[in-house]
Parts: sequence; structure tokens; C-alpha cells
Amino acid sequence: MTAIIAMPRLSPSRRREELTFYLFISPWLIGLVLFTLGPMLISLLVSFTEWDLLSDPAWIGTENYRRMLADPLFWQALKVTATYTAVYVPCELIGGLALALLVRPKLRGIRVFRTIFYLPSVLAGVAFVVVWIWLLNPRGGLVNLLLAQVGITGPRWLLDPNWTLVSLLLMSFWGWGRAMVIYLAGLQSIPGEFYEASAIDGAGGWRQLRHITLPLLTPTIFFNLILSIISTFQTFTSAFIATDGGPLDSTLFFVLYIYRKAFQFRDMGYAAALAWVLFGVVLLLTVLVFRTQRSWVYYGGERSE
Amino acid sequence: MKQRIHVSVVLSVVVLLITACAAPPAAAPTAAPQGSGTTVLRVGTGDSGEGLTPHQQIIQNFEDQNKDLLVQLEPVAGRDYYARLLTQLAAKAAPDVMQIGDDAVPSFVKKGAFVSLDDCLKQGGVDLSIYLPGLLQPGQVNGKQYLLPKDYSTLAVYYNKKLFDAAGVPYPKEGWTWNDLLDVAQRLTKDTNNDGQPDQWGIQLPATWTTGFEYWVAAAGGRLISQDGKSFVGYMDSPETIRAVQFYADLYNKYKVAPPPADLAQFGGGNSEFDNGQAAMRLFGRWPQSGIKKNPNIDLGVVAPPQDKVRANVLFWGGFGVATTAKATEAACKFLSYYTGEQAAKVWKDWALPAVKSVAESSGLTKDPIEGVWIGELNHLVPRAYTFTPYWNETADPALRKALETVLLDPKADVAAALRQAAQDAQRALDEQLAKTK
Repeated sequence: MTAIIAMPRLSPSRRREELTFYLFISPWLIGLVLFTLGPMLISLLVSFTEWDLLSDPAWIGTENYRRMLADPLFWQALKVTATYTAVYVPCELIGGLALALLVRPKLRGIRVFRTIFYLPSVLAGVAFVVVWIWLLNPRGGLVNLLLAQVGITGPRWLLDPNWTLVSLLLMSFWGWGRAMVIYLAGLQSIPGEFYEASAIDGAGGWRQLRHITLPLLTPTIFFNLILSIISTFQTFTSAFIATDGGPLDSTLFFVLYIYRKAFQFRDMGYAAALAWVLFGVVLLLTVLVFRTQRSWVYYGGERSE
Repeated sequence: MKQRIHVSVVLSVVVLLITACAAPPAAAPTAAPQGSGTTVLRVGTGDSGEGLTPHQQIIQNFEDQNKDLLVQLEPVAGRDYYARLLTQLAAKAAPDVMQIGDDAVPSFVKKGAFVSLDDCLKQGGVDLSIYLPGLLQPGQVNGKQYLLPKDYSTLAVYYNKKLFDAAGVPYPKEGWTWNDLLDVAQRLTKDTNNDGQPDQWGIQLPATWTTGFEYWVAAAGGRLISQDGKSFVGYMDSPETIRAVQFYADLYNKYKVAPPPADLAQFGGGNSEFDNGQAAMRLFGRWPQSGIKKNPNIDLGVVAPPQDKVRANVLFWGGFGVATTAKATEAACKFLSYYTGEQAAKVWKDWALPAVKSVAESSGLTKDPIEGVWIGELNHLVPRAYTFTPYWNETADPALRKALETVLLDPKADVAAALRQAAQDAQRALDEQLAKTK
């Protein structure tokens, strides 16, 4: 593995150091090649084939990609995923920040609250999806019982195509803790003198937030934004467990569609092509967000280049 | 010196890693390493939990009689089973004996995953005449036997005698019709607290369960696919299919005798009204019966599903076959014939309906007022749609499911239009599949 990496002419000791370096990172390097880069490359090849796992793959060129354009479920999956991302990402950004600001003050026992808010993000996704299915049960569920107490007839949540995405959104709010923790770390790095100085100049809490906290937090917000976009585009568990893509394909998330094509319908080639389209979309969005970085993200008081 | 130690330690770790990765992943053992002459057979099943007990018991019995064979059960629970099996098949590391369900048979066989049992039959031991009627067909493709039956279920209507007695309604009897069903269901649907919502329902139905729905279409005299397996248009949208879907949807939305589905992602709609003693009847397979029998809310009776134009029922079936990748085919055959034979059926019968006729009869199940209904229904089977095309699951099934979702969720939906759409969607998907295989 290491031998194929070309090395410039170096003194023996430098060379040995270099070798040691590569040997030390090699477990990771081998893992990356074997389990990430390799499969990715193979999936790219597979996306140009017709393959049902059982018989040999047959090369069909770009047919899979062309089929996609005429596949209504492809567009539906893209629509569902994009809609959900467009709503969820801002929610998580703002909600996570709000939580972080809430648990920021160094009060007695604040760690307990931090833990409570963060806890759901380390729980197994399936477990709390199942709990939410009970909560959202149209008749016996706690949510509708509570709504009934205030005279509202609750919707049929997971059974009504108009409400399914809202239901999944409700469930996902448990995950804000992840963003919260990152924000908290970002907040810790803002020097306290800024707040003291501004307080002397007469700035109130709102102005401090607007003119100190937010600008200095932009690198963290940026980081959370990227993470959030990528992970939301990969939403799978809640839809797989709670609705299986239905009713009427209203929760057919892109990754769920890939899974279905690959392992339920054994259309590996098409599934691989879908996966690459998803990769392309996420990459494109990430690049676009990176482009905007210059206009709103500040690093140490200076605009990033 | 120190550095050299570092390098050599890291080097050995790396070598270890590489060799670990290079070793065959499944390490599929077909022969025990000691050279003791023991052959290891791997058996794949999608059963889980309590369902594994009979497997283990039968395997134990088999191993006691065959000291040279070691059987290794490999259960994979839930929806992942086929995905796992397929990847194992692709890697040529599949179990030697595999259990699959009825609608997976045509596609697995078409792809050459199972050996034809001709050789097994010649070898002796396997006897095809021992099974109850209708149980061999799901394991056949083009007239050849590939799989043998493990367990099965037909459809029937469970009813709770307590609710019938309380309402003074006579129990349903075989030969009853859809009109009778509606009549009985209406008499048993009650709004006891006058809030406009029924507190007791006539019949709990399995929501958007597509394969179960084939019964309704067949009973109305229709079918979902043409005999040659090439057309859905003219079948999924035929007057008979429309009648079946309309009647089914009306039970939910017009007559309101069926509780609305609780969870469409769950098999059968996730309703619990029958279990809670809040629904008088339930149309379903036999799977939950042992739980229902123990339920104190229920005094159980079982009756054949009602007929419309045709007295029809459909079969749900699981079976075992020998993988083409199996090395010790002879041993696999031997095990298969035992696993699906009379001795094993004596164990299976305590967990599911036995497939072997003599066992069903000698244990009194065929005459049992409840089990006899399930078994008797084998005489009224119509072929399931998947037997006409290997592409049912990826073409018509999602389309039919969507049509059922449409009409169940929206009381104002036009049934004929929903089915026309379904037939067209299914047809387009099927034509695409057929064009690909040319």
C-alpha cells in the first residue's frame, strides 16, 4: 500500500520518518480506500449498468440517468427531500442557536439542562420515532388528546399526506441538540471582554446578540449549515420506520427511494445512479453555500478569503 | 533503534489488518476443519423471536439422527432478510438452504438462486404427495418444483362471539355473501355514547395490504393481471376490480363499519380494535391467532371470507429450497426433505398450520372448528397475481397500494379514476421491465 506512494528523494532518516508517517495513518488510509473510495468508485461503474445482484451486470451506458428524467417517483423523491430540507435546516439553525443561548449562562445546574437537551441526539433514531408514532396516533395519541383539551380536533398526522412532512418535522426537532452543542462551543470562544466593553458603552442584550454574538458566531453557523444540509438530504430513518414513504408517496425521501430500488426491487444500477445524483445535488449545494461564505462569515474579525 | 521498533510494530499491525480484510468475509464453512467428516449446512430464515423455536427443535432432532451433519440456523429479522440474502447470493456466500416467501419465488428462481428439486426427488426421501392441496404450486416455476412448503395461511374472518351474542346477531356461516357481511357489520357498529363516532365497529379490515386485497378482486370475479402476464390495463381497472375497491372503500367511508387505518406503514393498518373487543370481526391471515385465542376480550370464532360472484381465497406461503451455491447438495436435499417432511410437520403444527396432510389429519386440525376453516380454504384458492409475472412487486404492487391509499384516505375520491391511474402506472412500469429483458 505504502510502496506505491511516490516519494521525492530524501535523506534516509527523512525517508524513514515519512514511511513511519504513512504507516501510522495507513489503518485509516486502508479503511478509506477499501470501505469508502473503493465502493464509491464501484457504485459509479454500477450506475452505468443494469444489475439485479443475482446475474452479471450489463453495461447500458447512461440509460439509468435518462430513465430518471421520465420517472415521476424520482421527481417526487427530490421534491419531498428538497421541501423538507428547506424547512428543516433553518429550523435547526435557529432552534439550535436558541437552545444554545438558553443554556449558555453559567448558572448552577445548567449542565443538567444541557444534557437534557442534548440527550435525544445520542438516542437511537428508531426508538424515538416509535415513541412519536404513538404520540401522533390520530385517536389514542397524546398529541391529539392534548389538542382536544383545548378544543382542537387534531389532524390525522402520519395518515394524512398533507400532514406527514409536518409530523416528521415535529419528530426531528429532538435532534436540535446536536447543533446546540456545536453552537455552545462557538459561544465559549467569544471573549467575555467584548460583552463587558459593549455593556459599558450601553449596549443591551439584544444589541449584544445582534452585533457581537451573531457576527462572531458566523463560522459556527456556517459549519452547522453545511452539516445540516448534508445530513437532512440523507433523511431516512424516520420515513422508513414511521411511514415507509407513504401515504401517497408524501414522505418518499430520496435515500428511502434509493434503498427501495436497490434492496426491494433489486435495481442496483438505477439505485447507484440515484445515489450519484444525490451526491451531485449535495455537492452543488455545498459549493454554493461555500461561495456565499465570503459575504457573511467572519473569521477573527476579518472576512474570510 | 527506537524508531525501528515503531516501524516494525506499525508494520505488523498493518499486515494484520490487510490479511484480516483479505480473508473471505462470510467464511462460509461447508466442511468442518478437523476433517472429522462433519458437513456443515447453513439455513437462512426471515423468522425471528419465538418463530425460531420450531426451527431449532427440528434441527436438533435432525442432528440427533444424522451425526455427520451440523446445521447452522442463520436468522435475519424483518425487512432486511431479502436484502441480506441477495447480497450473500451476489457474493456466492448464501446459506445452503433458504426460506423465502411466495411472491419472491419467481424472481429468485428466474435469477438462478435455487436448484430444481428434480435431483433431490430422484435421490429419494422427498415425497411430493404428502402435502395438502394447493401447497406445492407456490414453489413451482414453469412446472418444476424449486421449493417445498414450510408454512402458509389463507384468509378468513375472525369474529368475537361475545359481541355477536350481546347484539343478538347470529354468527356468520360459510356461504355468506358481501351483502351479508355489510348487513352484519352494520348491525354490530355502535355509537354507545352518542358522540357521532362509533365505539364498536363491525369489521376491522387490513387497510392497504395489497396481497390480501387480491381476495376481494377474485371474489368479485376479477383479476389484476392478464393470463399472459403482460397487461394490467383492462384488469386492474376492470368493472370487477372497480366493484371490489368500491365495496372495500365503502365499508370504511360510506357505511363506516370499519375503523379507519391507524398506521399505514404497519402490516394490516396497525389497528387494534378487534383485540380490544371494539370490533366484532376481523379479516386477516392466521398469523396473530395464537395471541387472539389468549385474549380475554375475545371468544373466538373463525369463518370463511364472504363470497360475491366467486367463492375465492388466496394463499400466503413460505417455503424452503436449496441454493445453487450449496456445495453439499446431497446433504442439503436430505435436510430439506426432513425439514419439510412428516417428522418436522409434527413440530411445525404447534406454531403454524402444518403443510403435511397426514399430520393435519392425525392431529385433528382438519376437523377443528377453527383450524379446519383455515385448512378447508385451501380448496378455494385462486392463483395470486405474482404467479403471472416476476415483476409484480416493482410494477403493480406500488400502483395498487397507491390506489387503495387514495380511496381510503379521501372519501370523495373517484374509485374508477384511481384504478385507471393505477393500471396505467403499473403498465408503464411493466412495459419498461419487459423491454429491458429483451
